[in-house]
Amino acid sequence: MNKALAALIHQQVKVYRGDATYLLQILRHIQFFCSHIPEQAIQLLSFELKISIPKIRALIEFYHFLHYQPRGDYDIYISDSIIDHMSGKNEITSYLCEKLKVKLNQPRADGRVTVANTSCTGMSDQGPAVLVNGLALTRLSRKKVGQMVAKIEGKIAVEAWPKSWFNVADNIQSKGVLLNSEIKPGEAIKKALAADPHDSLTEIDKSGLRGCGGAGFKTAEKWKSCLLSDDNRRYVVCNADEGEPGTFKDRVLLNSYAEQLIEGMTLCAYIIGAQKGIIYLRYEYQHLHKKLQETLQTRRAANLLGTHILNTELSFDIEIFMGAGSYVCGEESALLESLEGRRAIPRIRPPYPVTHGYLGKPTVINNVETFCYAALIIEKGADNFAQQGLAGFSGCKILSISGDVEKAGIYEIPLGMPVKNVLNLCGAQSVQAVQVGGPSGALIIPAEFSRVISFDSLNTGGSFMVFNHSRDILENALNFTHFFMQESCGFCTPCRVGTKLICDLADKVATGQGARLDLDSIKQLNHVMNEMSHCGLGQRAAHPLLETLEKFPEYFVKRMTDVEYQPSFDVEKSIQRAIDIVTIESN
Amino acid sequence: MVMSKRSNTFTIDGRAIPFIVGETVMQAAIKANIYIPHLCFNPEFTPNGSCKLCTCDINGRKKSSCCTEAQQDMQVNNETHELTGMRRTLVQMLFVEGNHYCPFCERSGNCQLQALAYDLGVTDLHFPQFTAHRNVDASHPDLMLDLNRCIFCELCIRSSTEVDHKDIFTIAGRGINKRLAINSKSGLLKDSTMKVTDKSAHICPVGCIIIKGEGFKTPIGERLYDQHSIRDVGNLRPDSAVKATTPMQAEKPKKKLKLATCSLAGCFGCHMSFLDMDERLIELLDRVELSRSPLNDIKTCAPDCDLGLIEGGVCNTENIAVLKHFRESCKIIIAVGSCAINGGVPSLRNNIDVKDCLDEAYLNGIGLVNPKIPSDKELPYLLEKVYPIHEVIKVDYFLPGCPPPADAFWKILNDLLDGKEPELPYNLLHFD
Repeated sequence: MNKALAALIHQQVKVYRGDATYLLQILRHIQFFCSHIPEQAIQLLSFELKISIPKIRALIEFYHFLHYQPRGDYDIYISDSIIDHMSGKNEITSYLCEKLKVKLNQPRADGRVTVANTSCTGMSDQGPAVLVNGLALTRLSRKKVGQMVAKIEGKIAVEAWPKSWFNVADNIQSKGVLLNSEIKPGEAIKKALAADPHDSLTEIDKSGLRGCGGAGFKTAEKWKSCLLSDDNRRYVVCNADEGEPGTFKDRVLLNSYAEQLIEGMTLCAYIIGAQKGIIYLRYEYQHLHKKLQETLQTRRAANLLGTHILNTELSFDIEIFMGAGSYVCGEESALLESLEGRRAIPRIRPPYPVTHGYLGKPTVINNVETFCYAALIIEKGADNFAQQGLAGFSGCKILSISGDVEKAGIYEIPLGMPVKNVLNLCGAQSVQAVQVGGPSGALIIPAEFSRVISFDSLNTGGSFMVFNHSRDILENALNFTHFFMQESCGFCTPCRVGTKLICDLADKVATGQGARLDLDSIKQLNHVMNEMSHCGLGQRAAHPLLETLEKFPEYFVKRMTDVEYQPSFDVEKSIQRAIDIVTIESN
Repeated sequence: MVMSKRSNTFTIDGRAIPFIVGETVMQAAIKANIYIPHLCFNPEFTPNGSCKLCTCDINGRKKSSCCTEAQQDMQVNNETHELTGMRRTLVQMLFVEGNHYCPFCERSGNCQLQALAYDLGVTDLHFPQFTAHRNVDASHPDLMLDLNRCIFCELCIRSSTEVDHKDIFTIAGRGINKRLAINSKSGLLKDSTMKVTDKSAHICPVGCIIIKGEGFKTPIGERLYDQHSIRDVGNLRPDSAVKATTPMQAEKPKKKLKLATCSLAGCFGCHMSFLDMDERLIELLDRVELSRSPLNDIKTCAPDCDLGLIEGGVCNTENIAVLKHFRESCKIIIAVGSCAINGGVPSLRNNIDVKDCLDEAYLNGIGLVNPKIPSDKELPYLLEKVYPIHEVIKVDYFLPGCPPPADAFWKILNDLLDGKEPELPYNLLHFD
């Protein structure tokens, strides 16, 4: 076995104290080091961590960015969201593959490079985007591709590529109370520490803050349930795994508002009595990792993190966990499974994480944005936050706006703002539809543009994708449907089998083979998947196709055959294959 | 309904069910002798909640009853038209996902997936088959693992960890590519510590984990679920064979209809079974007129046929032409037998490329003189796969069985002749 690899494994196992819950972290290091997970590494890990070989394989096969087979020295993933498609992703991909003389998903013969698709990388405001050896590179043009290819063919290490190539713009387009605030590090904590933790909880409660990741659960209630749990060992987890296609607001917060985030997590720790926090950072945000580590370090040096924060009884520190490619990790209990070094399968709930979370202990899991707002609320007061909002709604929300708009980027808006006002803000014209909340959200047509963004009517974890009249909405549904199939964890029957069936039906319609009975099947599957799936992924997976059928039947009609029934496969093609074989071989 | 406030009760389909605090809906239902369909649940192990068949309407929301704790005054609906339909779809999903060929599976008649299909009245797959590529591991001296039939209930995993304390099985992969993996260096069962005496060797609800040498101890037709509904006897493993019941007698046929039959990629066994109606055929001929059929050697269907019975799957170009001819000529098409319903034995070639099949048969096989792939224009061309007929034409009814018994033919034909929706009683619905 490669000595350097063995040394790396020994070192990693030592760093993580032989704790098998860190298996995913160790595998990521090996993947970066060897561009795959070699068989010997699996065996050595199995021995060192005392974990069975299939359990290690289970992880490699589950997470998108881990591989048995070597990837290229330059491992390129192209973001495959519908917004990337609209900004020319397919053309750029063909050009890149042509230039590199490489086929999608197949390492080049010399092992230099691989090119593959991946789910949305959170760069919808600056697509088409790729990840090169884990680092984001945005706004790809033919020119940039040419330059990239030159570096690759010249064997220039990614670290030596121009730094400016890896700049990721924040694109903050509209600021509200959070994005405008400049909290001095430690201000909110100082204020909280001066009083009883209960006062802080009351303040959060008064503000009406709700979870900004999508579910909209009342933050104070969640923290209180955790505080009231019997077990004294408690955890604060930040869900920085925003994987919903079209959302990228957490990327901006992690880049430019990390102090607020950490402040918010520390406040939560003070309130619930936790000593350890974890930021679960999605793989695609690798480029933020170093900066976040530095921020943590600065705060430790300033006595804002670590033991006896500001010389009080409060001791709390934060560790960063990296994901390895799995959308379902955005579901909080799946995220916990991933943190514990397993496949990200959503747990059976109840019990909820507030009583049985990380390592079975009471855990608060909140989105990046929620913690940022919590810090703001403690610093500026509950009323300041609650007064935001229109038409009887209270509070703010950050939207990631992308697609056919003048200014893509993030917008902090008061809750209660109608869709049409949001569209005015971002300069959208000739709008045909808006997908609010990503593929799992809702497709909104002009007749519904007076609906307002709020937790109760039109909820979104942040994604807001705009489509003008030149777009074929069925293409969105196809893209979303395939996304769900690729990301299904496979735990429950309706989602595992249903996402595949729905994809096959969508493809059948798209290739002009759809018949009326197929539409019945789509409805039937949607019903079963929606009602019976274990988590939100399966529940929503058939919805984009059905919603497109309901709201834009013309896109279906255009491609459907006008018959009741069509075979499940291309009969002519199947026959032609047989004719070819017989003709060639019999001669 | 008046309910005592002191005792803990909730209702299933309106019936009051007592429970102990902490019990799940499923546990309480089993104690009260109420059957909620399930596959991944087994009272001996931690619930898994993955198969979703036990989903019930619980206080207005669909929830897995194996994972939901019973609560005072909870209202549970189990036997509703909607839930039965959804459960039927789930069973069909599991059938198309794996490779489930009942006629040549030794667990047939003792299989809980099959038994649920019988109970729910599933007669067809409805969806296209996935033709999954999965392994068979026959390396172990006492056990065989046919992953084609795995339904991911995870009972083997749970029994291996919770009872055997061995951790032999695990799940790897994700989504539709998920797979059952074995905890051994080679990945083979023989290199694991698995013993035939382990609990996990005696837990598989389907034909995935098989004990060698006892598959056909009880003949097909005399097995547990051949005689008893899973709702009456519960989710049981083999070993409970019961005596066969007598075939039912149907009423006399009444109206005369035009009937056509054909066999595609099949063995004519279904036609033989049709002839097994024996003297009843004379009665039948009083009411039907036979159009195209191998029985009379008429080569084309009358254009106004009422019924078309189709045996066999679709393997070549001629089959497609015949099918289309039948669909155009017959008002009602009935898929008859396993091959027509899921491809059957001929579809075993589906995991092998059609070119490799032809090469093996005509070019590389043993004892071939002047090897050559026949190319006479008269010969039909093979399709890439063998398809069930519902993937090629719209099918109205399905008559499963390998072959369907003569009584089943008699029953379904009589129903149609009487203008009734055809329905098979439990003893006539089987897949083997």
